[in-house]
Amino acid sequence: MADYILEMMHVSKTFPGVKALDDVYLGIEQGEVHALVGENGAGKSTLIKVLAGVHAPDEGAEIFFEGEPAKIDKPIDATTMGVSVIYQDLSLFPNLSVAENICIGKDGRLPAWSFMNWKKMKRMAEEALDEMDVPIDVNKNVDDLSIAQQQMVEIARAIAFDAKLIVMDEPTSSLSHSEVEKLYNVIDKLKAKGISIIFISHKLKELFKVSDRISVLRDGKYIGSYHMDETTEEKLITLMVGRDVSYERKSRFNQIADEVVLELKQFTKKGNFKNISLQLKKGEILGITGLVGSGRSELAQAIFGLNKPDSGTLHLHGKKAKVRSSNEAMKHGIAYIPEDRKKQGLVLNQPVTNNISLPVLRNMKNPLRLLKKKDERKMADDYVERLDVRPALPDLKAMQLSGGNQQKVVISKWLATEPDILIIDEPTNGIDIGAKTEIHKLLQELADKGIAVIVISSELPEVLAVSDRILVMRQGRVVSEMSGHDASQEKIMNFAFLGSSDKEIS
Amino acid sequence: MNVLKAKEIGIASIIILLCIILTIINPVFLSIDNLLDVIKGNAVLGILAIGMTLVIITGGIDVSVAAVTTAVTVFVGFLMMNLPDNFLSVVIIFIAAPLFGMLLGSINGFFVAKIKIPAIVVTLGTLSIFNGGIIYLTSGQYTNSTNFPQVFMDFSNLDIFGISILVYILFAVALCTGYILKYTTIGRSVFAIGGNQQSAVRVGINQDRVQLFVFAFMGFLAGIAAIVQIAYTKAIDPNGLAGLELTVIAAVVLGGANLMGGRGSIKGTLLGVLLLAITENGLILARIDTFWQRVVVGLIILIAVSYDAIQNKRAERKRSTIEVEDEQEAS
Repeated sequence: MADYILEMMHVSKTFPGVKALDDVYLGIEQGEVHALVGENGAGKSTLIKVLAGVHAPDEGAEIFFEGEPAKIDKPIDATTMGVSVIYQDLSLFPNLSVAENICIGKDGRLPAWSFMNWKKMKRMAEEALDEMDVPIDVNKNVDDLSIAQQQMVEIARAIAFDAKLIVMDEPTSSLSHSEVEKLYNVIDKLKAKGISIIFISHKLKELFKVSDRISVLRDGKYIGSYHMDETTEEKLITLMVGRDVSYERKSRFNQIADEVVLELKQFTKKGNFKNISLQLKKGEILGITGLVGSGRSELAQAIFGLNKPDSGTLHLHGKKAKVRSSNEAMKHGIAYIPEDRKKQGLVLNQPVTNNISLPVLRNMKNPLRLLKKKDERKMADDYVERLDVRPALPDLKAMQLSGGNQQKVVISKWLATEPDILIIDEPTNGIDIGAKTEIHKLLQELADKGIAVIVISSELPEVLAVSDRILVMRQGRVVSEMSGHDASQEKIMNFAFLGSSDKEIS
Repeated sequence: MNVLKAKEIGIASIIILLCIILTIINPVFLSIDNLLDVIKGNAVLGILAIGMTLVIITGGIDVSVAAVTTAVTVFVGFLMMNLPDNFLSVVIIFIAAPLFGMLLGSINGFFVAKIKIPAIVVTLGTLSIFNGGIIYLTSGQYTNSTNFPQVFMDFSNLDIFGISILVYILFAVALCTGYILKYTTIGRSVFAIGGNQQSAVRVGINQDRVQLFVFAFMGFLAGIAAIVQIAYTKAIDPNGLAGLELTVIAAVVLGGANLMGGRGSIKGTLLGVLLLAITENGLILARIDTFWQRVVVGLIILIAVSYDAIQNKRAERKRSTIEVEDEQEAS
């Protein structure tokens, strides 16, 4: 048996309503680069957070580091043990110098009143950077560095901290081609030093370049570990999909009218999306999917006037229109329900009634400009009944409702603006399965009533269940368009990961 | 190595410009005596602003500073009534006053760090409590120097090389604090907590201890400021410092500190104090009514802070694109 630097066994993690990890195993061999893959929400981040001491696993988990049982209660326990995690959003101190950032981990353990030896600190930082062969001025503030350089500083910090295992979460997502090459060089150097690496990425191609082995997670479960030279991209994709969950698909294609409500022509925004052209018909549900970071949400925000495109035109009901703000979008009959309903969609400590009436308050004033409380209440009662919000008590505060019912309140709120077009981002994120089906049904009913709906979702079964038509986005472009009937998870994943359907269908 | 950062150069050049204008209006301004008087007269403001800089770098705020300082002046007054007219008494005052201030500051620190109440709420509460206590103990009565021991009066009037002891105290405080910030781990932890609280905890910095430290240190310096205040005014006035906390915060913000935490420096703060001090002095020399001074000071703060906010927004925008640009892989 190979020497394992890390073995995590029987790791489960339950969040309220969701089992994020279910008896997961992860074994990392000494000195290897180990890739960790899975769809969005497969549990990669949760697993890493357990390893990093951010989340405590459920009872029964066993973690061995260098053969010894490890106890990781706090982030610092993980770092002291020799595990450094380089998060996607980085965790540097923008206001401190490179030298301080690199050495701070080590000094964190010193007593508060010890004196700092700047000379020694700079030397240590320079040594760490030298080992990686990346010249960065250690006197500079991290604020003044590029993202790629900041990442190198993080890695240098891990080295200075004597990390034995470095976890890199999507390290290449914001790097240019040449920067990615540099990162590969650094990874080689780390490997030569005997440091093991867990590499998380959506880009399968690059995984074949850098990793020795790969582990696949799906729906919070461990699927298996494979040697890179024994597997192929296609095989991995098949392992990643094939979800057990599926939702009933109701056919309703006969109701789509021929009237085009929304049309985009060559919509482009630098760094977000490129040359997006699409048509949306009255009564149609258009699913847009792709990996996180493929530009889906940015596109939705552009349609709603929150993210100004650089070029391209938007047509509403056949006429060219300008949507420069969310207010204008609402006037044009567009509603947008963002992904994070707690932060952006609801005023949690206010009653359901107030939440529903919020976007249409201006229509509810009496001649004295006071609020018509009765009308407001009537409208809320009406929506609560129509959408079957439970419990049907409009006086409850939004935070007292379950996730699914909160989402219904958010939808009610936007329906109150009487939109022609409803854009909804991750409609069932964090909602339990029963409520998901209800939301799906609701979206289809809305489409039946003639609203054109765009559903953005990472959850393929959901996209497959509700959409009449599906667009797959990858790196800011639409790489495929398919009808809801012909689509399958494998087909979508091939496009989302590889940009083509490859051999599978031809 | 540049001694001043770009922002500090900005303030410094405003100060120089102001000095030129003021000298033209009234040549008295540029005399050494006047300038030293300005610094001496603002030593209390300076010392408090230095302490406040640390609090603000961690992302906190302390609006109780003036109340804490006043409370210590009352405490020192009590000490002076009961201490013999002996050199040792001054030493005792210099030990006891900062410790008493530190105790009061620690109360703030305790509520912020341990009970996790926002600093503004905590210090508004203690501001009210301390002020109430002061009025109860003194009945709002002013005490003048006739009751002070002679040795303290001698100390107050002490000049070394023609420069008042109070000015030395200010610069000693500035040097020590600057040293703590740059050369001790606790100083760096102060910046780390303000720059990225989450990462700071991740690398093992004890956030509670850092917060407790900045508030206790603020109190400690308020104790020193209290001695300077008594020495400068030769009196103990329960209402003498009312409202000073806002000027203190203004000086720190003018000096380039960010109220959201992470940024700030002793040099910047001293320049901020100097700018406010010179403005005030200049307006007096130019014989402009005192109520205009407040308006001018307010305007300076608004302009400086807006300028900073706009600059930050620009820098932010430059950095905001992080998504991958799609290079079609032709392979």
